[in-house]
Amino acid sequence: MPRALLTWIGGRLLGAAATVVAASVLIYGCLRLVPGDPVLALTAGRRLSPEQIEAVRQASGLDQSLVRGYLDWMGGALRLDLGLSLHYRTEVSSLLADRVAVSVPLILYSAVLAVLLGCTLALVSAVRGGAVDRAASVLAAVATATPPFVAAVVLLSVFAVGLGWFPATGAGSGFWDRWWHLTLPATAMAVAAFGVLARVGAAAFSEELGRDHVTVARGRGIGGFALLRDHVVRNALAPLVTVIGVLTATLFVGTAVVETAFGLEGVGSLLVGSVSRRDLPVVQGVSLVAVVVFVAVNTLVDLALPLIDPRVRTGAVR
Amino acid sequence: MSAAEHGPDDVLTVRGLRMEAGPPGSPVPLLDGVDLRVGRGETVGLVGESGSGKSLTARAALGLFPAGARVSGAVTAAGTEVIGADRAALRGLRRHRVSMVFQDPRAAVNPVRRVGDHLTEALRARGVPRREARDRALDLLERVGIRDPRTAVRRFPHEFSGGMLQRVVIAGALSTGPDLILADEPTTALDVTTQAEVIALLDSLRRERGTGMLFVTHDLDLAAAICDRVHVMYAGRIVEETTGAELLSAPAHPYTRALVAASPSLHGDRGAPVPVAGRPRSLAEAPSGCSFRDRCPAADDACAAAVPAVRRHGGAAVACLRPAAVAL
Amino acid sequence: MTVDLTAVRGRSFRARRPWGLWAAVAFLAAAALAGLCAPLVAPQAPGATDLMNSLAPPGTPGHPLGTDSTGRDVLSRVLYGARLSLLAPLGVVLLASLLGITLGLTAARLGGWADIVVSRGMDVVFAFPGLLLAMLVVAVFGPGVVAPVCALAVSYTPFIGRLVRNAAVQEGARPYPEAYRVMGFGGLWVTVRHLLPNIAPMLIAQGTLSFGYALVDLAALSYLGLGVRPPAADWGSMISQSQSAILQGAPWGALVPGLAVLGTVVSLIVVGGHIGGSIVKKGERT
Repeated sequence: MPRALLTWIGGRLLGAAATVVAASVLIYGCLRLVPGDPVLALTAGRRLSPEQIEAVRQASGLDQSLVRGYLDWMGGALRLDLGLSLHYRTEVSSLLADRVAVSVPLILYSAVLAVLLGCTLALVSAVRGGAVDRAASVLAAVATATPPFVAAVVLLSVFAVGLGWFPATGAGSGFWDRWWHLTLPATAMAVAAFGVLARVGAAAFSEELGRDHVTVARGRGIGGFALLRDHVVRNALAPLVTVIGVLTATLFVGTAVVETAFGLEGVGSLLVGSVSRRDLPVVQGVSLVAVVVFVAVNTLVDLALPLIDPRVRTGAVR
Repeated sequence: MSAAEHGPDDVLTVRGLRMEAGPPGSPVPLLDGVDLRVGRGETVGLVGESGSGKSLTARAALGLFPAGARVSGAVTAAGTEVIGADRAALRGLRRHRVSMVFQDPRAAVNPVRRVGDHLTEALRARGVPRREARDRALDLLERVGIRDPRTAVRRFPHEFSGGMLQRVVIAGALSTGPDLILADEPTTALDVTTQAEVIALLDSLRRERGTGMLFVTHDLDLAAAICDRVHVMYAGRIVEETTGAELLSAPAHPYTRALVAASPSLHGDRGAPVPVAGRPRSLAEAPSGCSFRDRCPAADDACAAAVPAVRRHGGAAVACLRPAAVAL
Repeated sequence: MTVDLTAVRGRSFRARRPWGLWAAVAFLAAAALAGLCAPLVAPQAPGATDLMNSLAPPGTPGHPLGTDSTGRDVLSRVLYGARLSLLAPLGVVLLASLLGITLGLTAARLGGWADIVVSRGMDVVFAFPGLLLAMLVVAVFGPGVVAPVCALAVSYTPFIGRLVRNAAVQEGARPYPEAYRVMGFGGLWVTVRHLLPNIAPMLIAQGTLSFGYALVDLAALSYLGLGVRPPAADWGSMISQSQSAILQGAPWGALVPGLAVLGTVVSLIVVGGHIGGSIVKKGERT
């Protein structure tokens, strides 16, 4: 690998690390922003003995300076130790580990739905044009504007209650049962991302379709599927992948809403419950994980762009 | 016009090609009665200003019409009637018999795929095995003068200079062993020294393989130098057909004469260039009768009556009532 | 729920006859009017319960859109709910614009380190989805509207800040601010008087879209029980209160406020896309 490329990759990774560190300072700093004695926020609404309060104060590093407390917390986080939940009295990391089994399939399922359906609609609307394109763009605009809780309400009314095809709550057990249970939640979460992808994709595809090299390929007898795959989708990949990276944040946060709406025990509903119980260690832990995932995905996208578009490779190295 | 008397050896005949776009209620005419032919091993020029319909005509030979265009007439390329042909027939024609070289190689080659993919694409599409297609691509790259073809096939278009990339495009056009090459201003986007190399390459390949070539250009000197015959187009019609030799020495149509007078001479035997008065017209904005009459110093009322019929004038066929009436 | 303006701008309704635009404007005007005139037009008081008449379907006399599980009139609640649902995101957009314009201009004018610090800071905020930041703040300060509004304003600041900074850097390179300075006008005056009107359409387009996303985020927060506290209600809290009724076959209590959110956001995207689209068109022409 050329040296310049390595330098570029190193720079990207360093930038991502810096963003995560800054974000973690913000997440930890929130605790110190609490008006009055922060430990009261941590213990709000719970009847604790003075000894217990002192224990919480120590466990949260509130008896130490801001810097010391942050370093302890972050040091723990690097060892996957995110502290103890005030509510459950268990490790935040083990709480997360339990919930991931619902949230990760949910996010992946929803991402697959959004990407497959969004790109398909985009391709059809770019290739067909005319009335199909206009109808698709209206559909995409409405989907973009549909928040997951509205989608959840509609899906519940129609498919769970009205038609009774899918269950209204629960995550199910076993592969097929889980898949069946997660269909409505994943759809509710995917709607907005689907809309954004359909719009961005249609714009990107129709731009590529108008390029000379597509005409040239047609003129060489390349048609149908091969033309779309090698000259249209392949070339529109860069903007699409960038948008997909940004949309992961939407999906991650969407779990909070969708898991609450469908009564799923995942990371999102853990976050919501912990926020309302003001269980700060859990909130901080989940927030940190969310930011790390989001930054990681977008850094991967950044690093993947040169593989997708060779022109970026040269530009990046220069 | 002599194009009508096509021989059995013709790789391209175009007869009475008309094309219009826009809604049927208010059609926009693009081409009107274009006739031309290209024989085996022959190089035929198609010259004219931008908007005259040269590229439309050339692309029509591949059945590449603008979206929504209505086309009539007859276009026979390598034995296939293109107008009204079904998808499979067009695909076969494009994959096996006719290739095109476009003006700007940067735009013509997919920038995100390797050069090797561009070269093998048409071959793979017609079922040539990967290995064989690759070998043929290496062979072609060598033939068009690209050093170290083995590394070249793995490189991306932006890593080539314009001239080198046009060689790649030409190799891609030759990959299918076509009977007819449509070269649409293949050298316009290149610098002068590269132009000469690319032209020489195209010409030698034509000689070697007996491929017919339709050469679209606005460069009269170039057309005169390499073409056996030249068609001059103006506003969607062919106004003159002449030999390459007589294009510069004995132009007949006032428009051709104006073009010759307007093009700077490389040899200093024509005097200072005189620009053609007025601006180029497309067929849609052309006047009735002879489309050139509003820019023609020799035009009178008779020119407005009808589109002039083609008549012989020396070695040329001219659509003009008074050929050679304008001083050079 | 934050998407860059450029992502939405690509294909808007601008090429079409603008009936979609007018429908969107009419919907937004109606929503704003509903909020303003709620006491005049609402058939019932929004909090008036009528347990004898709970879950009445739409079309019931006196309850054109039905009632919820405690017999409150859905239409009246949606009309009153428009107030908080629209005012809070307006607060987000105004605050974010104030912050974004200030930071963007500061970064562009001072340049150097200030520019780097502001730009990197915006990148960090960018890594926080708005709803996540809002939840973090709620965890610290407790449920309510003010804290989430401030948190969302911070998280939308980068969109406006980057726009202003880039525009200011570009405009700064043009000759006319220099000409004004030569004529003795102060730098800040030049910027405020000339730069802001120039980028106003872009700011309005971004602000319109941010308004929509802020509305969704705030409604989501209320839906999760972390936003508006009863008896105050916005569309999000109405949906969450009526969700259990869906399983009893009475979806209107949740669907009506849901459609209000959807209609408002679609309209905002259409209007924002149109403003953004007309900028693009203008740019193409020049």
